[in-house]
Amino acid sequence: MADDKSTHDAGHEREPSYLVAQKGLKSWLFTVDHKRLGLMYLATTLLFFFVGGMAAIFFRTELLTPGPGEISGVLTALGMDPTTSATTYNKLFTVHGAVMVFLVIIPSVPGALGNFLLPLMLGAKDVAFPRLNLLSFWVYSLGALFFIYTLFAGGLDTGWTFYTPYSSNFSGTAVISATFGAFILGFSSILTGLNFMVTIHKMRAPGMTWNRMPLFCWSIYATAVIQVLATPVLAITLLLLIMERTLNIGIFDPAMGGDPVLFQHFFWFYSHPAVYIMILPGFGIISELIAVHSRKHIFGYKAIALSSVAIAIISFVVWGHHMFVSGQSELAGIVFSFLTFAVAVPTAIKVFSWVATLYKGSIQFNTPMLYGLMFLFTFTIGGLTGVFLGTLSVDVHLHDTYFVVAHFHYVMMGGTIIAFVGGLHHWWAKMTGRNYDEKQARWASLFIFVGFNMTFFNQFVLGQQGMPRRYYTYVPQFQQQHVLSTVGAYILLAGFLWIAFYLLASLRKSAAPKEPLPDNTWGGASLEWSTQTPPIEHNFHGQPRVDSDPYNFPQIDRTGGMDHH
Amino acid sequence: MSDANHDEADARLFLHGKPVEGYEECHEHISPMKAYYAVFGALLVLTGLTYAVSYMSLGPASLPVAMVVAVAKASLVCMYFMHLKYDDRYHVFVFLSTIIFVGIFFTFTIFDLNSRTRLIEEQGTFFRNNYDREPPPTPEPAEGHGEGAAGHAEGEAGHAEPAGAPSAEAPPAH
Amino acid sequence: MSHDHDSPKAHRPAGAGEPHAFMAHHFNTPGQQAGAAKFGMWVFLATEILMFSGLFLAYFIVRMHYPDMVLAAHEHLNKTAGGINTVVLITSSLTMALAVRAAQVGDQPAIKRNLLLTIGFAFTFMVVKYFEYTAKIEHGMLPGKFYHAWDHGYYIEGSPHIFFAVYFCMTGLHGFHVLIGIGVLTWIYLRAGKGHFGPSYYTPVENVGLYWHLVDLIWIFLFPLLYLVR
Repeated sequence: MADDKSTHDAGHEREPSYLVAQKGLKSWLFTVDHKRLGLMYLATTLLFFFVGGMAAIFFRTELLTPGPGEISGVLTALGMDPTTSATTYNKLFTVHGAVMVFLVIIPSVPGALGNFLLPLMLGAKDVAFPRLNLLSFWVYSLGALFFIYTLFAGGLDTGWTFYTPYSSNFSGTAVISATFGAFILGFSSILTGLNFMVTIHKMRAPGMTWNRMPLFCWSIYATAVIQVLATPVLAITLLLLIMERTLNIGIFDPAMGGDPVLFQHFFWFYSHPAVYIMILPGFGIISELIAVHSRKHIFGYKAIALSSVAIAIISFVVWGHHMFVSGQSELAGIVFSFLTFAVAVPTAIKVFSWVATLYKGSIQFNTPMLYGLMFLFTFTIGGLTGVFLGTLSVDVHLHDTYFVVAHFHYVMMGGTIIAFVGGLHHWWAKMTGRNYDEKQARWASLFIFVGFNMTFFNQFVLGQQGMPRRYYTYVPQFQQQHVLSTVGAYILLAGFLWIAFYLLASLRKSAAPKEPLPDNTWGGASLEWSTQTPPIEHNFHGQPRVDSDPYNFPQIDRTGGMDHH
Repeated sequence: MSDANHDEADARLFLHGKPVEGYEECHEHISPMKAYYAVFGALLVLTGLTYAVSYMSLGPASLPVAMVVAVAKASLVCMYFMHLKYDDRYHVFVFLSTIIFVGIFFTFTIFDLNSRTRLIEEQGTFFRNNYDREPPPTPEPAEGHGEGAAGHAEGEAGHAEPAGAPSAEAPPAH
Repeated sequence: MSHDHDSPKAHRPAGAGEPHAFMAHHFNTPGQQAGAAKFGMWVFLATEILMFSGLFLAYFIVRMHYPDMVLAAHEHLNKTAGGINTVVLITSSLTMALAVRAAQVGDQPAIKRNLLLTIGFAFTFMVVKYFEYTAKIEHGMLPGKFYHAWDHGYYIEGSPHIFFAVYFCMTGLHGFHVLIGIGVLTWIYLRAGKGHFGPSYYTPVENVGLYWHLVDLIWIFLFPLLYLVR
């Protein structure tokens, strides 16, 4: 496999790529091609990323001043009642959270990059169940429609966690449609996970043993295991919540003799593992980026691969750390706190392995690698502050403050989103057959890095000083830091808009490269680089065989990649 | 994995002299009719057993006994009707690990509930069981209705309308 | 890296199954296709088990909170109807297993006969369920705020509305699975009528069978927990 990447297709004429192999809208909407579905997921998740991001920009704007200010100004301008700005704020952060979690982060990497890359990396013609894959996309779209309906039917103000009894008995917003939307999205997630699991088990090319799979596949596998095992519990939880709200069945309602903490157990049994559904694919991308762009065999292949699986398993026994102050018994809190620390072990194994991979590598500072390095920085901060929050006594002080907000943004955004954007740049040429503007991309990545840290770093301080999360108003002494955060958010917005701009620009007809791009843009050694760019409809001309591992780079290659330095 | 009858020369199945496991195979097993009828008979007997046991007053032992019988029935269905006994080992692994994760879910939640209940009892802040929506059989109503009571107000024409807030001093159930 | 071009005969391992009309293009051998489908089904069953586990946990929690109420309330469930339904489902499981076996050996009339029997038992189950539900509704033993059994002379201490909420959720979700089962059984019955299944291709029959056995499996636990345990 390592011997001659570029020549294997030499015997074949260039075939039309999957992008043009079939024509018409129908050939996209009803496609069973995993690559096209990947692009469709990409488009929809990015669209919702914009929606969720704009919600955040709005409420960050509101937080510029301590009192009810900015949103009520906007509301007055729109001819609405400005006194509702607190409610509006609640709806905005709920929309931001729910959209980002259910519609963006969970489906983004597996749905877009996973769908596109998994069969290519495994040397398969498609995923195991292509029609199920299409169904999964449409189920996702249906769930998204429920969310959009929720936005127009009065919004949702429960926070993305839907805690009872507020969500079941008190909230006057469209809880049922939002819950049902999340329920449907859960099915999409299950179907995707199931499909990927079977694909990895049954569709690997001859010679592609478990220990020769790219680490991205391992992380997708671990993700799929969690999706399959945890999401059904979310389904039943949300179903019970809908029952509670419509029929008052009383299981979660203290006024009816039920137990509201039970809801949190149900919810977090899914949602804590779901945190790893969100971050594990990011880990996979980073493993690829770091290895390919430092032209060095990944350090500790097996350790990274198995730590993904270990994280997947440990994720199921730590959910109680979300409930330290919610009325859970102290004894359970101690046990959960102790188990939470176990997560740090496999996570640290990964981070150390990535750093060790960089050591004495031939690092190229092109855009994907910049995001890879950015990930190492921001994710490590996010991961380490997680240890603070997992400590029972510290969490009592920090719970429900901006410290928590900063922590999970450093993990979710500084981890998954940064990895996703990095992966998007890494595989952009493979997916679209186009090159983006490298210079603009590097500058935009700087915007992202500065904007992100400006927005969230001082929120650690804010939270430690006692600023509670989810409040639209605050004491004046916090204003300086809030303004800093908001300005950071604007910079972040500018960065993302810039990325959108140059990526879209690369898709223009006039931007098409004169010569088709080479198969192997970065000198990668995994199978997706061995096929045409963009790939042909059935991925490979023949059945690929594998006799080496995916990080066997021929030699340290200082001329590889798109850019010389 | 049963590679016994695979063509040794097939490069798809053998690389570096080692078989590539799990590739392009599917286990099939045809059980004799007798086996199915035997399992069916056993299931009927066990159903009868669990039904009969429910009429004996076993007290706290009744739940474990019923569960043991149910597990026995379930294993029969899994092993013979679902062919798990003859199937790919990995399917057994999937099934058993599912059970383990269900176990994790149950264990931690029930563990919390148990330790919480003890604590709540110690502190005397029992919050459950103070909501009894049903008027007691005595003539005067004692327990209160929540907001949900309005939904069936018309159905209660024959009864005295219960009044009063939920009693905060209601004793713990256990 | 080498690529061998499609030469299906040369590289098909023995035992991987004979080619059939329902072979999808992206699989190399029928064995791979059947194995993938079956593995996918088992993973799907895992999700089903975890989904039901939430309701079972809710049951156990309610039982822990209100041991006396659960014991009093479950006496109002119809043990005989539950028992009949258990036997019906177990028998349907047998006929389903026999249908799979008939497909494995290629006995066409037996496939159809056994599938039809299974569908019949599924309907019987739903009819019994219908009578049970009707009785509960008539007695006002309904979930949550609709509970008004005292109007019909039934007094259960504690919070029986929660028990009946759990009862209706569990049996309702299970009944929904039976309905889905009737749907997929009908689908493979129609396909069996066209002679689609035989020793070389019976994956759909087998997978629907697995699903149907799971429905039975859930009931095996539901029945004693809701109807019998004292």
